Amino acid sequence: MTAEAGMLSLLIWAASGGAAPAVPSDGVPASGQLEGRPVGEAVSELQARVDAAAPGATVEVPAGLYRGDLVLDRPVTLVGRGRPLLLGSGEGSVVRVRAAGVTVQGFDIDGRAGGDLGRDPSGVHVAAHGVTVRDVRIRGSLFGIYLREADDSVVEGCEVVGIPGRDPGEKGSGIHVWNTHRFRLERNVVTEARDGFYIQSSDHGLVRGNEARNLRYGLHYMFSDDNVFEDNLFENCDAGTALMYSKRLVFHHNRFLHNRGFASVGLLLKACDELVAEANVIVDNARGIFLEGSYRNIFRDNLIADSDIAVVLYDSCGDNQLVGNTFIANLSPLSLVGKRTDTRFEGNYWSDNLEPDLDGDGRSDRPYRLSSVFDHFRGNLTAADLMALSPAATALAAAEQAFPVLDPVAVVDPSPLARPPASWRASAAAGPGRVDGAGMAGSLGAVALGCLAFWAGRRPW
Amino acid sequence: MIESALISEPLAATQEGPRGGDLESPAQPLLLCARQELVLALRSRWTQIFGVTFAALSLAVASSGYILSGGTGFQDYSRTTASLVQLVLLVVPLAAVVMGSLALSPERGASELLYSQPVARPTLLLGQLLGLFVALAAAQLLGFGAAGVVIFTRAGDEGLGSFLLLVGGSWLLTALFLGVAAALAAGTTESSRTRVLALALVIWFLSVIVYDLAALGLASMLRSGVASRLLIVAVLVNPVDAVRTAVMLGSEGTTAFGAASLAFLRFTHGSLGAGLWLAGSLAFWLAAPIGVALMRIRRCDL
Repeated sequence: MTAEAGMLSLLIWAASGGAAPAVPSDGVPASGQLEGRPVGEAVSELQARVDAAAPGATVEVPAGLYRGDLVLDRPVTLVGRGRPLLLGSGEGSVVRVRAAGVTVQGFDIDGRAGGDLGRDPSGVHVAAHGVTVRDVRIRGSLFGIYLREADDSVVEGCEVVGIPGRDPGEKGSGIHVWNTHRFRLERNVVTEARDGFYIQSSDHGLVRGNEARNLRYGLHYMFSDDNVFEDNLFENCDAGTALMYSKRLVFHHNRFLHNRGFASVGLLLKACDELVAEANVIVDNARGIFLEGSYRNIFRDNLIADSDIAVVLYDSCGDNQLVGNTFIANLSPLSLVGKRTDTRFEGNYWSDNLEPDLDGDGRSDRPYRLSSVFDHFRGNLTAADLMALSPAATALAAAEQAFPVLDPVAVVDPSPLARPPASWRASAAAGPGRVDGAGMAGSLGAVALGCLAFWAGRRPW
Repeated sequence: MIESALISEPLAATQEGPRGGDLESPAQPLLLCARQELVLALRSRWTQIFGVTFAALSLAVASSGYILSGGTGFQDYSRTTASLVQLVLLVVPLAAVVMGSLALSPERGASELLYSQPVARPTLLLGQLLGLFVALAAAQLLGFGAAGVVIFTRAGDEGLGSFLLLVGGSWLLTALFLGVAAALAAGTTESSRTRVLALALVIWFLSVIVYDLAALGLASMLRSGVASRLLIVAVLVNPVDAVRTAVMLGSEGTTAFGAASLAFLRFTHGSLGAGLWLAGSLAFWLAAPIGVALMRIRRCDL
């Protein structure tokens, strides 16, 4: 677990004397301590140029291959022209930023899959405030970009490809933020890492317009309050986003798609309070939203579609609200773990709600029950879903509705929307409405063939 | 009257045809029987009513998927297929088993004339089955075509393959239940027509509705490991469930039944195993009733 590793390094760091982390000069730090200057063979060919630069200078690096690891311990701007490749020593971080105000821009970095995971070997390791990392492509590093106590730092337009095929426990995050306040991560793409964006003990950050796919958690907050994330895309992860032990997060217009593994979740909340989620798209996940031990959260105007289970809700949650969301074509609307819930579902749209709206007020005339007779089977028996879409199941559901014999926990939406909110209708209109030529021709052909058969049958043979 | 005239027409043609043709090509009487049954079935009001009704229902299901999703497009393909699959599972076996038992039960006059022809009884029966199958398949084309027109105005790329899978599944169900009808009707006398029809309806009801309910009910009383296996085996054994599972898994992958799909695939050791299991089950249910029918018609005393 990243969380545990992070906590462990925190403890070790605290035990080693607290205050400013020591920078040993031999370049081989103990686990949890900062890497210092590389030595011997590991020193980058660029090190001398950087060491000769005056504070505030811009060091331009022409295209080419540069071996070894580099320390930036004075405020310089390091700019690659024509995408020079920095090939690390394979023993630690390739670029180590140790001075505030440094900018690193326009490089390709290869970490050669090397280093000791406990020492956070990264493509770019930042341990100074106000650093900018821009337009850098990193592959083969255990961590992509690591911000360690780097307040006000920015990572933008970077691309991190982790180490494909390696177990998540044996590699680090794409972009890792630890104890860094007011950070900003924009337009980055991370694949094949452990977590895409991992943020721990860091408040008031912004994560915007990023993408994470094919990894464990797309975005993962731990103990980080007052953060905002928006317009991101998380797909093919174990959990699109995992929010843990954090308060007052605000997020909107994110997309959580195709998180389809056996226990995968689009959006996971564990012990998170008072967050606000708006206008997110949570589609084609094994489970849409997973809520455990979380209080006073608000979900508004989100789209949750094509999930096996739209919402998984533990009775350790309280005072949450799901209002005005759109639920479409989920196998099951709710899985309630426990005996009770005070979570409020109100004014949502449910595509399997067949209650009419006779008075035309936009709301169905009767409440929508978020439990079907099938949930009763499903709770005890996964394989029951094999029958979930059979005529028998439909018959059973109709019978149960007419003669209720089961008495499930009553979770209802008292005033469900009769049609989905206009915002989703509008966005979908611009979406996948495309004519399939082959299918259309085939269909018309089939109709013609059927008609021809009947017509031919009428003639004397 | 009209029917017997019809029957004599093609068969008379055989006899007037080149001598020895029957002996050289055993397929010819089979195809002749098939053609005659096909013409009869296409002219039958029942087939026409089925074709039109099925088309109307398919069209309704395909459009309501769109309407229910409020035009959001998310329900478009996968859940529309699921609803169409339900429709097919309900209607197609019913039509096949009812029309099969009506057509294959002997009628006074017609059957006597038919069986007096110099054609082996099994050939006659197989030919009739083939003709009925083609007629019903053609009638279903109307429905699938109509639904397809609605679906493909806005479907994505993956739609066509799974739609074809659904059509194939529907045809397979038609063949299966025609076989069941043949097993019920073969070698009976005209007096038992009503009994055959009643039996056909009972079999339809048992296999499409009661079977699943019984399996679920039984499973809910067992421990979950045993119950899981029971449900998976139940799905493999009943051809209606087998077709449904094959179409759903084939068109939607493991999304179709959520975690249950994975349990199913683990039981069958992967998707190849699943395919073999399902194909085996369906092949058995296709062959066994027709085998019974052939045996009965060979032995019966007309």
